Amino acid sequence: MWQRIWAVIQKEFIQTFRDKGTVIMLIAIPMLQLFLFGYAVDINVKHIPLVVADQSMDAASRAYVNAMVNSAYFDVVEYVAGEDAVIEAIDAGQASAGIVIPSHFAARVERGNAQVLFLIDGSDLFTVQSGYNAATAIAQNHSAEVLLQKITQSGWPISSTSPLEARLRILYNPDMKQIWFVVPNIAAMVIQTQSIVMTAAAVVREREAGTMEQLLVTPIRPHELLLGKIVPNIVIAGVNVLTVIALGTFLFGVPFQGSFWLFFGLALIYVFSGLGLGLLISTIATDLKQTQEIVMMIMLLGVILGGFMFPRSSMPPFLYALGYLFPLSYFIPISRGIISKGVGIGSLWEPVGGLVIYSILIMLIATRLFRRGLE
Amino acid sequence: MSWETFAASINRLAAITRKESLQLLRAWPTLLMIISMPVIELFLFAYVGEATLEHLTTVVADLERGSHSRAFIAALETSGFFDMELYVSGEAEVLSALDDGQAQVGVVIPPNFGTRLEEGTAQVLIIIDGSDSYVVQSAYSAAGAIAQQYGMDLLLEQAARRGLHQLDDLPIDTSLRILYNPNIDQVIFLVPGLAAMLLQLISVNVTVMSVVRERELGTLEQLLVTPARPLELIIGKMIPSVLLVTVNLAIIIWLGVYWFKVPFQGSLWLFGWLALLFIVSGLGLGLLLSTVAQNQKQAQQMTSMIMLLTMLLTGLFYSRAPMPRVVQLLGNLIPTTYFIRIARGIMTKGVGLSFLWPDVAALVIYGVIVIVVAAKTFKIRLD
Repeated sequence: MWQRIWAVIQKEFIQTFRDKGTVIMLIAIPMLQLFLFGYAVDINVKHIPLVVADQSMDAASRAYVNAMVNSAYFDVVEYVAGEDAVIEAIDAGQASAGIVIPSHFAARVERGNAQVLFLIDGSDLFTVQSGYNAATAIAQNHSAEVLLQKITQSGWPISSTSPLEARLRILYNPDMKQIWFVVPNIAAMVIQTQSIVMTAAAVVREREAGTMEQLLVTPIRPHELLLGKIVPNIVIAGVNVLTVIALGTFLFGVPFQGSFWLFFGLALIYVFSGLGLGLLISTIATDLKQTQEIVMMIMLLGVILGGFMFPRSSMPPFLYALGYLFPLSYFIPISRGIISKGVGIGSLWEPVGGLVIYSILIMLIATRLFRRGLE
Repeated sequence: MSWETFAASINRLAAITRKESLQLLRAWPTLLMIISMPVIELFLFAYVGEATLEHLTTVVADLERGSHSRAFIAALETSGFFDMELYVSGEAEVLSALDDGQAQVGVVIPPNFGTRLEEGTAQVLIIIDGSDSYVVQSAYSAAGAIAQQYGMDLLLEQAARRGLHQLDDLPIDTSLRILYNPNIDQVIFLVPGLAAMLLQLISVNVTVMSVVRERELGTLEQLLVTPARPLELIIGKMIPSVLLVTVNLAIIIWLGVYWFKVPFQGSLWLFGWLALLFIVSGLGLGLLLSTVAQNQKQAQQMTSMIMLLTMLLTGLFYSRAPMPRVVQLLGNLIPTTYFIRIARGIMTKGVGLSFLWPDVAALVIYGVIVIVVAAKTFKIRLD
């Protein structure tokens, strides 16, 4: 029996490595994704182009604009005459934000009733989110500073700082480096994509080419065939895990806080769940094109519902429950927990338990359907 | 071209269109999936994205338990950003709650918070789970702003009590106005993005896949020995896809406008014409890729790579502003970069050609270049 399984394993390896394109894709895609998510994409948008209509041009108005620019969130691209010109610049896409400061600004600040209009382009989600938060905070901060200055000048005997200071400490990623966020996510996604795609494709290709029938008339039993097909994928997925982690830690300098062996062991269980899912897909799909489409759909749903893009905690209950259908939901907390937080199994037993149960269930269902399909 | 040759050409075109439509309809499960995917995406993104930036689970260690600390916690809670779910007795427990993933944000209020607040030297520690970039983003700015606001309110109140009336209000009041999408509604952002993605998916992917399949099966050669010219072949192949995408686009826009109440600010006709221009340039890109891909598998890999780049680099979802220069230039190679600005311009901003001409011109130039290059290489490969 082991001999027959070994033969299938060898066949699968040869088939996979014969195609150079596939091998390159296996290595290139994770790298590309790491690069793009780490360096190209950033939901914290800075250097938002800003137009200014400063109708005062005095010290107070300049101080206000400077406060905005110094934050690095806004870059002044143009000075214009008034509100209409500001809106026109945003309409045309030359700028994404605008400030309108009315005349006699300094005098009004002195009296304590100055007003500023801040406009921001709402058509781009991340610009408006970052820009809105930044502008609110900076405006408030600046106003508070001006007030404290006035208090000092008035001779009121209190310290010239805000009475409440909030110290903000960000755990695990104190400098908010984008690539630190990304590595655990990409690791989770890559492992899954590869294990689902490879398994589903390996089975469907065989069936499409008619060689599945040929294999079945050989002495190989269905479960041996299955095992033989799965083992090479586990090996390749294991190599993939190592590639992503090595790239992340050595090339991108992301610290790996927790235990590597714990991560590796749990990743193998996770691979197993992906193989089960791939097998399940292969029993439904009739050809390679369909397989690809189903895999894409599942990956997309997994990415949206599994906590890859949006935090799961704030999803509506129905969608939160739906997320349990995708292994990503269990592995993202594990991946972040071990890589970023550096916690052990004691803090992770919930997602680990979920992953184990999920893997067993999906494998049971998939093998049953697979065998029924063969008979 | 005389009338007869033109009529004959139309005839051949119709024949090819019929053949392609039949092929498309025969693969109806695929068709169903192509149509339902953007609809599912629209619903998922709309409902999942809605609540993302608020209601972070928060653990509190209130070491004072006085009226001031309670008032501050209430201020955090009423902002809607923080849900106080867990009360513990010290910083260590707060940290372990974050480690365990029980909470995303921790607040530690030191003892004698109230007295120090009166003196003007109070501190509060806010700890944020930095393993999720979304959580960090919203918690960081919200916590800072709320604490500042709270401190200032207190100061202003003290000033008012002392009768310092020129100091009892913040001197500068900034009113923020969000143009086009005042409530930062995700769906308003999504509908143009999905429309653009759909158009590109169909025009690029379908072209690549159908040309490469035809070539791999050897039927491309067979089609070329028929009287059909290459141009007729290409247009004939595109017509069913364009029809399909029109239906799909209509569904998305209809759902957006009637179900999600997304306003369509600009001209629908202008949008239609420019979408056609976009499809043509996407078709050019698809043809170009089809001359590079050797077989269906490679074509598939290439198209999924293009799709990934499109989703990340063109401004479809993520802003292009913070991207490095090189990456922005890379994005310029994908036509969606120009079209997404056009789509948002027309749908969301409601502007017309006078504002959009730079992107329209770029799209035209892009289309011409890519089609000329594609036609050249296509011919070379056929010869």
